[in-house]
Amino acid sequence: MQKLGDFKLPQFFNYPPYFTLQPVRETREKQVQLWKELILEYCRTQKIFVIGLEEEFPLFSNPEIERSLSHEAREAFVSALVSDGRAEWLDKGHRKCLILWHRIQDWAEIIINFVKENGLEDSVMTVEEIRSGIESRGTELHGLDRIILMRALKLLEHKGKLAIFKGTTADDEGVKFSI
Amino acid sequence: MKEQLATFRSQLEEFARKHRNDIRKNPAFRSQFHEMCAKVGVDPLASNKGLWAELLGIGDFYYELGVQIVEICLATRPHNGGLINLQELCNLLRQKRKHDREAVSEDDCLRAISKLKVMGSGFEVITAGKKKLVRSVPTELKKDHNEILELAQAQGFVAVDEVERRLSWTLGRAIDALDTLLDEGLAMIDDGHEDGKRRYWFPCVSSISSVGADS
Repeated sequence: MQKLGDFKLPQFFNYPPYFTLQPVRETREKQVQLWKELILEYCRTQKIFVIGLEEEFPLFSNPEIERSLSHEAREAFVSALVSDGRAEWLDKGHRKCLILWHRIQDWAEIIINFVKENGLEDSVMTVEEIRSGIESRGTELHGLDRIILMRALKLLEHKGKLAIFKGTTADDEGVKFSI
Repeated sequence: MKEQLATFRSQLEEFARKHRNDIRKNPAFRSQFHEMCAKVGVDPLASNKGLWAELLGIGDFYYELGVQIVEICLATRPHNGGLINLQELCNLLRQKRKHDREAVSEDDCLRAISKLKVMGSGFEVITAGKKKLVRSVPTELKKDHNEILELAQAQGFVAVDEVERRLSWTLGRAIDALDTLLDEGLAMIDDGHEDGKRRYWFPCVSSISSVGADS
């Protein structure tokens, strides 16, 4: 079994036709499904939040069989994730994409649990503290992409679980929990 | 003559009783036993209630194999279009049964499949070159398709010009046959080779069909 670091690659990754978009609908659906699962699983285990379609990405090519995904194929697989609510384009040109191995609402749930476990129900924290402070160390929130974190926080704000307020500089927004 | 056969049958029963364990545990022995049965017109799999089944329990054995074969064929179908190499099927079957101490041979697979066939399930074994392939979707493979599958066994794929050359076909005939195989989900295209020639891969002749088998 081929590996990328400690990540075990699935067998289809070594089968050349999976790197060409398949013309027959049913075959293509299966192909897209396998790629979607692979991309999500890889990003989840490697804690990758953003993929650039034009940048180097280990899954986009397999030197062992000398195959790589065309731009069209990359866009097809990532677009399929977008339609599933598992990814979001960051630009109109579809060059960068946010990968949501947890959906925004799941991240929000994780934040709530984190707050409860740490007894922060009515505390104030900065956004930066949530993703890199001592409390979040060892949790999934540690190192979380800022864009995703903000989206989850805004969702919670919308639900009245917290209030986001501006700090003195742009990058230290604060959060007042009221769970 | 009738009498002779009757004697032979009762001897066969005696033999089966005596070697019950060998028949159940040893695939080669089992296969020989099946041959002996066929010679005297006894089908130990004909009914699950008969003396033979009671004696050996092999009806259950093949029934179980049949169910597992159906499961494997269904699980791998999205990848191979419903056509799987017998050897591969047998390997997957062994993986599935690894907790079972009774060994399974290709001969056993074929017997279990022939039992499935009786039930009208559309399972069929076809031969392409040296390989036996098990078909679980009712596609009608014509001679042309079979020849391509045979050709593909060497490397797992073929290119159009190779089909033309090796089988002495016209371009149109080669493309027609390959397009049908694509439509049936039995082939996948690969445009990624540096020579720029499109390759048609056949998951049913490569061992990659274990993809998705455990999902």
